[in-house]
Amino acid sequence: MSAQLNSGEPSDEIVLGRIKALFEAVDPAPPDLAARVRFAVALADLEAEAARLVEEAAVEPALTRGASEESRTITFDSTELTIMIRIDANADGTARVDGWLAPARACRVEVSLHDRALAVEADADGRFAFPSVPRGTIRFVVRPPAQQAQAAQQAHAGPDSPGPDSSGNGRMKTVITPALVLLTAW
Amino acid sequence: MDESLTSPAGVPTRAAQLDALIPELTPLLWHVARAAGLGAEDAEDVVQGSWVCLLSHLDSIREPRAIAAWLVTTTRREAWRVAATRRKTQLADTDRLADIPDPRLSPEDSALLDAEQRALWAALRTLSPLCQELLRIVAFVPRPDYDAVAAQLRMKRGSIGPNRRRCLDKLGQALQDCGGDS
Repeated sequence: MSAQLNSGEPSDEIVLGRIKALFEAVDPAPPDLAARVRFAVALADLEAEAARLVEEAAVEPALTRGASEESRTITFDSTELTIMIRIDANADGTARVDGWLAPARACRVEVSLHDRALAVEADADGRFAFPSVPRGTIRFVVRPPAQQAQAAQQAHAGPDSPGPDSSGNGRMKTVITPALVLLTAW
Repeated sequence: MDESLTSPAGVPTRAAQLDALIPELTPLLWHVARAAGLGAEDAEDVVQGSWVCLLSHLDSIREPRAIAAWLVTTTRREAWRVAATRRKTQLADTDRLADIPDPRLSPEDSALLDAEQRALWAALRTLSPLCQELLRIVAFVPRPDYDAVAAQLRMKRGSIGPNRRRCLDKLGQALQDCGGDS
């Protein structure tokens, strides 16, 4: 460790690497902080409309699947779209999610999880299903179908592209629901 | 990144633009906030606030690599503001400054460390608060972002270049004084 070293010397990088390891050991960033930042950013991003929870109810056990646990239904509302969700417990501890969009649209529907997202396409009747969703905090994101085709064409748009402007073109907005917690039992 | 995360105009939404950056840069911002002396809860709030604030500034940041610098500067400024408010409140409440925990370094953490890390820790503690803060920040800046972050800090806090040199030299000296750089 010499005072004559210039900045950018390899030994400086070694010391900084040790400082980094030190603070990662004693005071690491909370492991779920990035996921919570993602949620906060998604919600704050005014490109999407936040849906409101309008109704939530426990329903009779799902007879059709022979599940003994309770199921629940949840309805979210936004200006253009109503999202109805039914959640049933799977035997393996995950949850099955069936949903309906009204008015019916063939949209892309995502379940945003702690660290990743699952995506399915709603059919022409607006129905969609996630057979197995892990327990935890989730959020639904419904995207207009037109986005996908355009995305494929413009996948190379740079991250510093000018701000998107989705207003005034008559298309449906992306809708984000509030976070839901899928517990191990409800 | 998932290319489907786009707005109807075909441009990635602002949230989608940040999606890949969030896990990459959030730990850095945590250390920026903690190095300013914030408690864990305040640090999380400040980090989240910086990202949300970035949404409305994305259009004015032309260089993707300037985002890290913008975030570091914003987080640092806000962290110091909150830390100052907290200190003022605590002083008014109790006037017992010694009771305010120092989130940067605490003795029980030393159980997690090996001898080399304890020596580094002890050496860091002898440095000025500014040096402790700057070294902790720059240690977490991803290499591609380093120049932009350093440049940004230079504008705000005098030049980080000489600071970095000075702090690293002092640290090296402190390690030697503590019985050699292991």
